[in-house]
Amino acid sequence: MSLRWRRLGSVLGFVLGAGCLLYAGYVPAKAWLAQVLLEAAWQRTLTGVSDPRPWPWADTQPLARLSQARLGVNQIVLAGSSGRVLAFGPGHIPGTARPGQSGNVVLVGHRDTHFAWLQDLRRGDQLVLQDADRNALRFVVMQKAVHHEADLDLLDPLAPPQLRLVTCYPFDAIRPGTPWRYVVTAALSDTAHPAMDGLPPGMPGRSLYQPAY
Amino acid sequence: MTQVKCGREITLKIPAASMRRRSAETGITPGDTLGWLGLLCRAAFIGLSVSLIMAVLILLGASEAQAAEAPPGLVLYGPAGEPMGPAPQLRTDVTIEVTGMLVRVRVEQRFSNPNGAWVEGVYVFPLPEDAAVDRLQMRYGERLIEGEIQERRQAEKTYQHARAKGQVTSLLDQQRANIFTTAVANIPPGETVTVQIEYQQPVRWLEGEFSLRFPMVVGPRYIPGRPLQSESGTATAHGWAADTDQVPDASQITPPVVVGAAEGFNPLQLRVVLHVGLVLADIDSPYHPVRVEVLAPGEYAVELTDGAVAAERDFVLRWRPTLAPQPAAALFNEQWQGRHYSLLMVMPPRPEALPQGRGRELILVVDTSGSMHGASIEQARVALLSALQRLKPGDRFNVIQFNHTLRQLFDRAMPVDQASLQRARSYVRGLKADGGTEMLPAMRRALYDPTASGLLRQVVFLTDGAVGNEQAMFEAVAQDIGDSRLFTVGIGSAPNALLMRRAAQLGRGTFTYIGSTDEVEDKVAALFAQLSAPVLTDVQLRWDAEEPDGSVVQTPLPVPDLYAGEPLVVAVESGRRLRSVHIEGRLGTQVWRHTARLQGGADGAGVHALWARRMIDDWMARQVTGEDRAAVRDAVLRLALEHHLVSRYTSLVAVDKTPRRPSSGELQSAAVPARLPAGWSADAVFGRLPATATPAPLFMLLGLLGLALGWLVRERGA
Repeated sequence: MSLRWRRLGSVLGFVLGAGCLLYAGYVPAKAWLAQVLLEAAWQRTLTGVSDPRPWPWADTQPLARLSQARLGVNQIVLAGSSGRVLAFGPGHIPGTARPGQSGNVVLVGHRDTHFAWLQDLRRGDQLVLQDADRNALRFVVMQKAVHHEADLDLLDPLAPPQLRLVTCYPFDAIRPGTPWRYVVTAALSDTAHPAMDGLPPGMPGRSLYQPAY
Repeated sequence: MTQVKCGREITLKIPAASMRRRSAETGITPGDTLGWLGLLCRAAFIGLSVSLIMAVLILLGASEAQAAEAPPGLVLYGPAGEPMGPAPQLRTDVTIEVTGMLVRVRVEQRFSNPNGAWVEGVYVFPLPEDAAVDRLQMRYGERLIEGEIQERRQAEKTYQHARAKGQVTSLLDQQRANIFTTAVANIPPGETVTVQIEYQQPVRWLEGEFSLRFPMVVGPRYIPGRPLQSESGTATAHGWAADTDQVPDASQITPPVVVGAAEGFNPLQLRVVLHVGLVLADIDSPYHPVRVEVLAPGEYAVELTDGAVAAERDFVLRWRPTLAPQPAAALFNEQWQGRHYSLLMVMPPRPEALPQGRGRELILVVDTSGSMHGASIEQARVALLSALQRLKPGDRFNVIQFNHTLRQLFDRAMPVDQASLQRARSYVRGLKADGGTEMLPAMRRALYDPTASGLLRQVVFLTDGAVGNEQAMFEAVAQDIGDSRLFTVGIGSAPNALLMRRAAQLGRGTFTYIGSTDEVEDKVAALFAQLSAPVLTDVQLRWDAEEPDGSVVQTPLPVPDLYAGEPLVVAVESGRRLRSVHIEGRLGTQVWRHTARLQGGADGAGVHALWARRMIDDWMARQVTGEDRAAVRDAVLRLALEHHLVSRYTSLVAVDKTPRRPSSGELQSAAVPARLPAGWSADAVFGRLPATATPAPLFMLLGLLGLALGWLVRERGA
């Protein structure tokens, strides 16, 4: 009797354990594979294809390419910031300025896959964001800070033109579901670029909250 | 037993003797290198498992500790992004006096400045949507200054001028029919400036019950649209939302919110005196505990049991006379500046028979946005289930839910049967509240009737009304209502009463409130009684003056259809004293004729204000149906200035002529923040930054643990 239970427990332990491990491997594998597929979709986007979805059932599309030379980062940014989108790549938070527009562009990514490299960024590092019209905007990392997840001032669409990269904090936590966000703010360094015509007057963030969009 | 013991010994000490015994049992001779290696591996693995378990516990504990140490993120920030200094503190005292069916309310707001600097305080607060606000008084020290009614822009100028000169001054603006702003400038350090606001209002009379509602907080509104690049730039714009193309005054109706405010923050005291002249069977305050004192026969005083309460939910008082028969009519007369004003309320008799009912198509629309999270969505769910239960075979129905997206149960309205009701019930039970409030497409979808089936089409709209684009909603209802009828149900602790009342008026239906799950049954039953059909239609009134000189101005005109339990309420202005009014209408299947004498009614101070307020409402409603904006503005401005009323185009302003603030003293402007309405969740309303941690590391750990445990159990069982 007890022997049977132990066997059962043992089998269960192995099966569940193997399942968990498989899933743990699947998450980064999916993240990596999606970026490979996205690279192809991005190339199509650059050639002006009207429906550049990376795979036929995708509910998102590539918006920009984010690169950082020192860390060898080269990623395709997707539209949207839902969990489904973030599984495939860094996402653009709707309601903030779109990549290529002048304004507060906010991107989020998973702390343990696509945006794990944020912890290695240094002040002064360069970030390049290329939009679908091949305009590349250059940003310089100015500030790294930890904010509470309720601090939606970070998304203020009227903030000065800048790039914000957001991921969960701390980086090495085991459990998901932290209330803290690691935020890298990078200022525009290349104001002579044609995409920068018609800058809105910079307005400091003042809203306490934004409603959920 | 020995095997179990053996396992334990290995874990702890790995003594050679027990290993040998164990080896013998499994048929491996001592000295067999493979067996030794296996034992070593096993030991290492078990050791690893134990340390893994420890590691998991430590890591899980650590992330808990990290979260607990960090400061809460909800802090007030000033216009330049700096943490804001203490805003002026506010205490509110409300005195409500009910005389018959007229209500006079005094709201006293005490702004005290605990700072060392001179302060301007701005407070955005609600008043009832039918309040005729006609008085502002400002008290500072010994001085009492009476406010003056001015055209809104002029009042703003007067205020700004006094503000710049260092005079103590206050301004009362109307942002919506139920949202007002007081601004008080140059409050000296350590001192208090008191602003007294007074308004007039009729009692609500429904189903033989009288009630009044006093709102205490403007809930955070969802602001649709794209942000405008330039701000509206008025002094009172302190809101958390930027102005948008759909809500160009968003920054003025979204006071900063303090989440998890302390008990004593923004306290409100309230006292009601009822001079009803009738013995009451029942006085009931459903949302606040009260103490009732009988002052004299027919006179009652009602006070909050807890003294001051937090301003976070509507106060409601209901009372019912013992008398049978119930009162059937009430009349209030006032002579004011040479003209005569009357307010007439008549309860029509119950019809003997209603016209033969047509088949019905009932569209239930429910708001599932973030502001409905918690108690509100629970009330909505129970109300919907109760409504579904009351559907009859032969009816058709559908359920629509909306937040920032729009979803419906069926593609089109379905006949009521077991299967469709079953699906509807499980759909309703699964409703969750989250996200934005794109109400306009939902309203348009609900009113859209492609089939024109000839069925009686009724839309029941359940929402807390937490949106900033009411005007667009009203326009949509006015344009799309067609033959449908719209019934609004205000849900939760602080519903937007303006949206409920005016949308229902434009939709030729009624409005109801549900503030707790206890009252759902009664309210839904009453609503369904009304839904069957309006009982009094095609109402005509003929006024008879003492002298033939006409000039009778009646509001509302035409009289809307009345539903079961609703009285006919009209206000009238005339050049001469009126003698009587002849009322004629279709009551069920019959014609109802009634003549009311208009002399000898009770003297009602402020009836003129009520008349003017209702006239203004009529004009504002006409703006929705396409009347020229300038014409509406002129008419409202004339009425409001003449009757000393605050409106969209007029404000009250008070200035103490003596300059107080020295030119060297700097003035800081700060918003008095509001509380979150009771039962609301800040997370659900304001949202969060996206979560970006995958569960991969956790699963990795759990996977290793699972393998380790599986191995351990197997070992012991072998």
